[in-house]
Amino acid sequence: MSLTAWIVVIISQLALVAGQIFLKRAMSRREHGGKKARGWTGILAIGIVMMTVWFLLWLGLMPRIDLSKLMPFEGISPLLIVLGAAAFLHERLNWRGWAGVILTCCGVVLVSAS
Amino acid sequence: MHDQLPSAARPKPAPGLFWNPYLQIFLVVLLTAVAQVLLKIGADFSPAHDSLWSWLGLTELGSWWTWLGILAFVTSFGGWLYALRFVPLGLAFALTNGVHIFVPIGSWLFLGEHIGLLRGSGILIIIAGILLLTQSVARVEEKV
Repeated sequence: MSLTAWIVVIISQLALVAGQIFLKRAMSRREHGGKKARGWTGILAIGIVMMTVWFLLWLGLMPRIDLSKLMPFEGISPLLIVLGAAAFLHERLNWRGWAGVILTCCGVVLVSAS
Repeated sequence: MHDQLPSAARPKPAPGLFWNPYLQIFLVVLLTAVAQVLLKIGADFSPAHDSLWSWLGLTELGSWWTWLGILAFVTSFGGWLYALRFVPLGLAFALTNGVHIFVPIGSWLFLGEHIGLLRGSGILIIIAGILLLTQSVARVEEKV
């Protein structure tokens, strides 16, 4: 993979993680109601824009890079989301949760690689 | 975020099985898998071009199958936003990997695609991972 492809892959994955975190934050705010709910639609809009960026970059990568090279990144995205949620939303998983995430990541890589 | 709240302050989903956020995640997974299969059928029914538009996926918009697929995607996004109100993001996102079970099965049933050893093994590993995740959910619910 060229350096440009690596940069685009990294940006697309960052956009996916950030987009999901913004969506989660928006929906949590909305759920709390009152003053805390203020601005949740703006955060939701940022999340949707981020997800659109991820989708377009991913579509752009597909014809340029072998799927076998691209799909492992699809597999690790749940792991990145868990790490992002731990860092920015202070979510915690127990060991079963971690084992489940790692197993599903491995499974996705196998399914995608086939 | 909700994990830090005392159980009494946690948001509660609406009563009724349909509004259970984990059922909603399951419906999101099913709808996304249906959408993927519909988009593939739509792409197969679309005329083959080598123009810029075809590379952007716009020629597929001429097929009703594609529009049904887009409708399924949009509906699943609504369910996803609902589930995010109640379920931790990391857990919810990991559970959506169930898509990678249903898409190959749907492709085998409706598109005649083959499920080889590698893909079959991957599906079994994903099922094992999701079973562990559901056990993790059960433990969290017990504590609440």
